[in-house]
Amino acid sequence: MLEMAIASGKGGVGKSTVSAIIAITLARRRKVIVVDADADAPNMHLILGLGEEWEWEQPYSESMVARIVTEKCIKCGECRAVCPYKAIYVDEEGNYVVNPVICEGCETCSLVCPVKGAIVREETLSGMLRMTRTRYGFPLISARLEPGRPNSGKLVTEEKTKAKEMADDDTVIVVDSAAGIGCQVVSSLAGANMAILVAEPTPASFNALKRVHKLTKHFMQPAAVVINKWDMNPDIAAEIEVYARENNLDMLGKVPFDDSIPKSMAMMVPVTEAFPDSPASKALLEVARRVEAILDEWSSWFMRFRPKKPEPYRPIIIKPEGF
Amino acid sequence: MRIAFATEENRGLNSVVSSRFGRARYFIIVDYEGGEVKSYRVEVNPGSEARSGAGIKAVQKLINEGVNVAVAGSFGPNAMTALGEMGIRHVGMSGITVEEALNRLKNQL
Repeated sequence: MLEMAIASGKGGVGKSTVSAIIAITLARRRKVIVVDADADAPNMHLILGLGEEWEWEQPYSESMVARIVTEKCIKCGECRAVCPYKAIYVDEEGNYVVNPVICEGCETCSLVCPVKGAIVREETLSGMLRMTRTRYGFPLISARLEPGRPNSGKLVTEEKTKAKEMADDDTVIVVDSAAGIGCQVVSSLAGANMAILVAEPTPASFNALKRVHKLTKHFMQPAAVVINKWDMNPDIAAEIEVYARENNLDMLGKVPFDDSIPKSMAMMVPVTEAFPDSPASKALLEVARRVEAILDEWSSWFMRFRPKKPEPYRPIIIKPEGF
Repeated sequence: MRIAFATEENRGLNSVVSSRFGRARYFIIVDYEGGEVKSYRVEVNPGSEARSGAGIKAVQKLINEGVNVAVAGSFGPNAMTALGEMGIRHVGMSGITVEEALNRLKNQL
């Protein structure tokens, strides 16, 4: 089993498009599973031309919110007065009610409530985990969060665990990470054997690339770079290439700006199918072939591009509890 | 010497070492002396249930358990820092059972 994570730091630079084309290409010769690890804005199913039909969907809950037990509530209003999030309101019948969307589960209300058991803490629906099979022969594992529910490394871990349950020894798991370098991205990269970093030639994306590269160095992961829309700003694209060379990142390819990509997304057909002869399709397929070549020569590639030393870290001090 | 192995399963020394530390489901905590397993116990990793900050919660658990060495496939940035600060050694190993990992480790302890 080999796990590759596609990350970029900055959003909207083409992670999902690159992931999709890599997965479709690899799936011709290998067993592939794709994980869409961006539960805030899941889009892999849309890029792959799938609707909202899932083979299975299961509720996912991890947030705790307060609920007021109406029968026990004496309507003193203490909870409403102290709630830092103003999540408690009085409904038309005069009952105190917690709005679960606003509640953060901080328990301030239950601390001040004079009646035992009138405010309980319970799990609320965070979102859905789901799986479907694509017509490219690989399954897609995805998640969807309810509005306002926080994304988390735990949810990404659940998705990756589902993928591993379905995987064989020779399966390639492609994890399309969310933007940023936070908890969910750490979770997307953790345990991955390699990373593919996507950047576009803008100062914002270049900066984000360096930040996410710190994470892959931390994990001692070999990483490769794809520059998307490189011809929008050839100067910065060249700077990114220099950065990649100087930092031992494998340069997988440069994809030109090409309106066949947004057009294909509107059509919900992967660009390599909708416009196979477009410059972007050709460049993306070349990137995917390079990834195939990496897998074919895995050990030598791994040895060559593995970071020589891990990213230095800043100190965190934890003391034993109870001391 | 007390060694914690991150695992996804609770099968004692036959559990496979997990590819990740902070969000592994269990820690198999082994007391190892003179090349022998004196005893072991299985603890749920509080990091596996954490929405965020899993690495820190996992390290806190190991500190409370008095662990000297942590074994997993990979360690996140926070976990690594905290382990380093607390002087808990981390060893990268996964996909083999706790028993096999102990065999590979024994010459390095």
